[in-house]
Amino acid sequence: MKRKHKRLVFVIIALVLLGGAVGLVMSAFEENIVFFHSPTDVVEKKIKIGKRLRLGGLVEEGSVERKGTRVMFRVTDLVNSIPVVYIGILPDLFREGQGVVTEGLIKDGVLEADEVLAKHDENYMPPEVADALKKSGKWDEMSGAVKRPGPGSGSGAKEEAK
Amino acid sequence: MGRFWHIIRRDLQMAMKQGMDSFMVVMFFVIAVVLFPLGAGPEANMLARISAGVIWVAALLASMLSLERLFQTDYEDGSLELLSLAPYPLEAVVLAKVCAHWLTTGLPLIAAAPLLAVLLNMQTEGFVILAAALALGTLSLSLIGAVGAALILGSRRGGVLLSLLILPLYIPVLIFGVSAVDAAIGGFPMKAQFLILGGFFLAALPLCPWASAAALRQALE
Amino acid sequence: MLHRFANPARFMRLSGVLLPWMAGAAIILVAAGLYMGLFVAPADFQQGESVRIMYVHVPNAWMALFSYTAMAVASAVALIWKHPLADLAAKSSAPIGACFTFLALLTGSLWGKPMWGAFWVWDARLTSMLVLFFLYLGYLALYNAFDDPTRGARAAAILALVGFVNVPIIKFSVDWWNTLHQPASVIKMGGPSIDSTMLWPLLLMAIGFNFLYFWVLLLRMRGEIHANKIRMIRLRQVHG
Repeated sequence: MKRKHKRLVFVIIALVLLGGAVGLVMSAFEENIVFFHSPTDVVEKKIKIGKRLRLGGLVEEGSVERKGTRVMFRVTDLVNSIPVVYIGILPDLFREGQGVVTEGLIKDGVLEADEVLAKHDENYMPPEVADALKKSGKWDEMSGAVKRPGPGSGSGAKEEAK
Repeated sequence: MGRFWHIIRRDLQMAMKQGMDSFMVVMFFVIAVVLFPLGAGPEANMLARISAGVIWVAALLASMLSLERLFQTDYEDGSLELLSLAPYPLEAVVLAKVCAHWLTTGLPLIAAAPLLAVLLNMQTEGFVILAAALALGTLSLSLIGAVGAALILGSRRGGVLLSLLILPLYIPVLIFGVSAVDAAIGGFPMKAQFLILGGFFLAALPLCPWASAAALRQALE
Repeated sequence: MLHRFANPARFMRLSGVLLPWMAGAAIILVAAGLYMGLFVAPADFQQGESVRIMYVHVPNAWMALFSYTAMAVASAVALIWKHPLADLAAKSSAPIGACFTFLALLTGSLWGKPMWGAFWVWDARLTSMLVLFFLYLGYLALYNAFDDPTRGARAAAILALVGFVNVPIIKFSVDWWNTLHQPASVIKMGGPSIDSTMLWPLLLMAIGFNFLYFWVLLLRMRGEIHANKIRMIRLRQVHG
C-alpha cells in the first residue's frame, strides 16, 4: 500500500513538471523567436554597424532597381523598410510584394546582402485561376494570404495586413 | 532521500578516485575549442561570430565523453542489479547518477567557458548569458545522455553508438543555447530562448530518468 | 483480438493474400498520380513548372512521419504486450521510413534551389526533418548492436518512443517559428489552400505511397520471419 502511494506521488510530480515544461515553451512562442528579424526590429534596436543579420519581410512594391547583376530593393514589414543591395542571381520566386529573407552586413543603414532567399506561401493554383480570382475581385480576400509571407516575416507585417 | 545523496556521494568519490574525470573533460573542451582558431584561421571578427556555436558544440562533445561509463561499471560489477532489487525506485537512482555526472562534467565546463570565450574574441555582453545558458543546457544534456548510456549497456561498439543516438537529441538544446548567446550579443531579447531551455529541462527531468530506468530494467533481465 | 494475429503462421497466410492487392494498388495509384501530376496538372501561378516536385516531395515527407509513428506504435505494443510481430513491424518500418525521409530531404533541396535560392537552409522544418533521419539511423544501429536480438529489439523500441517527441515538432515547426519553409496547404484550418486540379494528383500519390509502404512493410516482415526460420533450422542442425 505504501509503495503504491509513493508511486502515485512520483507520477503527480512528473505530471506537474511536464505541465511546467509545456507552459514555459508555450509562453516562449509568444515571445516570437525568429529565423530572421523584421525591419522594425532593426530600426528600433539600432543594429550596430558591421553586424551580420538576417532580415525578413516583403519586397516593397516599385522599389526594385537592377543594374546588371546588382539589385537594389527595399524590404518592408509595412511599418518600416530597409534598403538592401545584392549582387548575384535571384531565386525564381523573387518579385515585388513577395516575402524574402536576406542575410548580410548592415552598413550606413543599408543591408549589403550576400544571400537572398525567397519565401513561398502555402497557396497553390494554376495561373488561370489566379487571373480569374483577380478579375472577380476575390483576390483581395486571398491576397492577405498570398502577399503576406505566411505566419512569418515579422509580426509587424502580420498585424498590419489584417 | 538519504540514499539519493549516498549514490551521488559514491559516484563523486569514484570519479575522484578513478583519475580526474573532470580534469580530462575540461582539457578536451579547451583543446577542441582551441582547434577552431587554428583550423579556421585567427581572424578576430570571424571567431567572434562563431564563438557561441563553437563553445556549445565543444561542450556538447565534452559532456558526452564520460557518459559511456555512467552505468557501465555498475552494470559490469553487478551493483546495478543490487540497486534495481532494492526497494527504492530505479528512476531515483538514475537521477542521482545524472546529478553526479553533471557535477563532474557540466559544472567544470561552465567554469571553463568564459575563458574560452575570451580566446575566441566573444563580445563581453555574451559572457554571463553563455554561462547561464550552459548551466541550464548541460543539465538537459546530462539527462538526455543518461537515456543513451542506459540503452547501449551490453552492446558491441558502445561509444560510437552512444554518440549516434544522443547527438540528434542534443540538437534542440544546442540550437536554443547558441541562439540565446547570439541574441544577447546582438542586443536582441533572449527571454524566449531561456524559456525553451527551461522547458526542455523540466520535460527531461521526469521523462529521461523514466526512459533510462526502463532501458536499465530490460538490460538487467 | 491481438492474439489472433500474434500467430506467425496466420500472419504469413493473411499477408500472402494481401500482398498482391497492396502491390497492385500502389503501382496503379502512383502511376496515375505521377501521370496526372507531371502531365495533366497545371503549372503554378507563382512557381511555374517547378511546382511538380511537390507531387513527389510532399508524399515522401508525409510517409516519413507516418512510418515513424507506425514504428513508435509498434514499439509500444512490443514493449507492453511483448508481441513478437510488433517487434518485426517496428524493425521493418525503420529502413522504409529512412528512405522516405532521405527522399523528402533530397527532393526538397532540389525544389528549394530554384524557389528559395538555396539547396539547404537551416530552418526549423528542415532541421527537424534531418533529426528524424538521424533517429532512424540510430534506431537501426541500436537494433543491430546486440548479440542477443531480443535485447536489441527492446532497446531500440525505447529509443523509438523517446524519439517520437520529434514528430509533433516537425509537424508544427512551420507554425511555431518564422521559417522559410511554407506552412501546411492540405491539412489546415479553413480547408486546403491548394487548387483542386493540383490537390487530386497529390492525394493519389499520397494514397499510393501509403500502399507502397504497407506493401514493402509486409514484404520485409515476411522476409524477417523466413530468416528467423532459417536461423532456427541451422541451430537445430548444429545441435543435431
